[in-house]
Amino acid sequence: MPALFVLVTGCASVPPSVGELPYPEHAIELEDAPFHPQERYQCGPAALTTVLEKSGAAVSLDDIVEKVYLPGRQGSLQFELMAATRTEGRLPYTIDGSLTAVWRELEMGRPVLVLQNLGVAAIPRWHYAVVVGIDAGRGEVVLRSGTDRRRVTPIRAFLHTWRRGDYWGMVVLAPGELPAAVDRSRYFEAIAALEQAGRFEEAALAWRAALVNWPGDTTALFGLANAQFALQDFTAAEVSYRELLQRDPGLFAARNNLALVLSEQGKHGAALGEIESALAENRDPDLEDALQDTQATIRRRISGAER
Amino acid sequence: MGLQKARGALLRLISVSIVCMGFAQAAPAGMIGTSYMLDEESRAASLSRLEVLLARKDVARQLEAFGVDRAMVVERLNGLSHAELLELEGQLDSQVAGGDIVALIGAVFVVLLILELVGVTDIFKSF
Repeated sequence: MPALFVLVTGCASVPPSVGELPYPEHAIELEDAPFHPQERYQCGPAALTTVLEKSGAAVSLDDIVEKVYLPGRQGSLQFELMAATRTEGRLPYTIDGSLTAVWRELEMGRPVLVLQNLGVAAIPRWHYAVVVGIDAGRGEVVLRSGTDRRRVTPIRAFLHTWRRGDYWGMVVLAPGELPAAVDRSRYFEAIAALEQAGRFEEAALAWRAALVNWPGDTTALFGLANAQFALQDFTAAEVSYRELLQRDPGLFAARNNLALVLSEQGKHGAALGEIESALAENRDPDLEDALQDTQATIRRRISGAER
Repeated sequence: MGLQKARGALLRLISVSIVCMGFAQAAPAGMIGTSYMLDEESRAASLSRLEVLLARKDVARQLEAFGVDRAMVVERLNGLSHAELLELEGQLDSQVAGGDIVALIGAVFVVLLILELVGVTDIFKSF
């Protein structure tokens, strides 16, 4: 495929992995991936609805349009697609920008939402589509795109438009699913964002899956403990924080949260002891205020309980 | 009493259905979120990348030529916040957009850039 070679080496910013075609010669296609023909400019909501439905989420295109479509811009932004995914209790995960990465997700049954630029550099025309198939033998990519249920595009033409979309692509994971090629910190950031969106049940499932993949990982354990705390499962949260602190007693953030969980259970003395020893030993100035607030909260609760 | 009982049951029903629907909930007050750990991890990774850069022979030689103690620079780096470290790395990256920064812009410039960014401005007095 000499044309592809020229295209890829012609631009310095292309990651080398895009030019390689190490995926198998046989074809893969997720024929059951849903399709929503887009209305004018609404490729973002249409593409997102496709990948959300494929992940098992019950959504309607109208709801998604309301969440992510910006009439003023005649489009949607990537971070809005990700935020909307989280409000559906799903994990948005951006994959590596290579066809290999797309292939591996398709093998797991997950279509890939991609950003393309169908215009030219001077007049960009941004477009979201969903890759549902790759046929390396025929050199073709199959997309749910615009009003086409099954748009077949030559791989090199697809790569050209995808490159100008900065190779941005995301998959939608059900909580507890891992991406096909998982980057630990990217996956953890995705779960932490779910936590920040207040989706603690889903975050707990995702952290449990992370702990299966990275047994004993202190960040994942902290995440699970926090989710249990937020879900008011104080007994489970206490067990998780204690396990974490056994692994790393120097985690003052965990000691802060443990003290709060003890206090929630009415174990006031233990809570106060925990936060006071944490305050005495902590050397991280970023945590000082939080620890002191916790101490004040616990003291307030104690004097409230004595009254 | 009966009314209160019914109200209690209704409230329980509502709270159960909220949990089932998986609505967004507020984080407990005072809980330090998981992103704190991720920031710490990212900070540690930034620091070790910068320390590796400073330990390179060509860079170390240049530091020495300027009469700057590497341990002091590392100490200053350690004193930077997560955001400041990211900015420093961003500035270094913006010079070369990936690739080997030292090979591309030279050890002198890298050293000057780092010293400037960590606030060792005394160095410029010798020029």
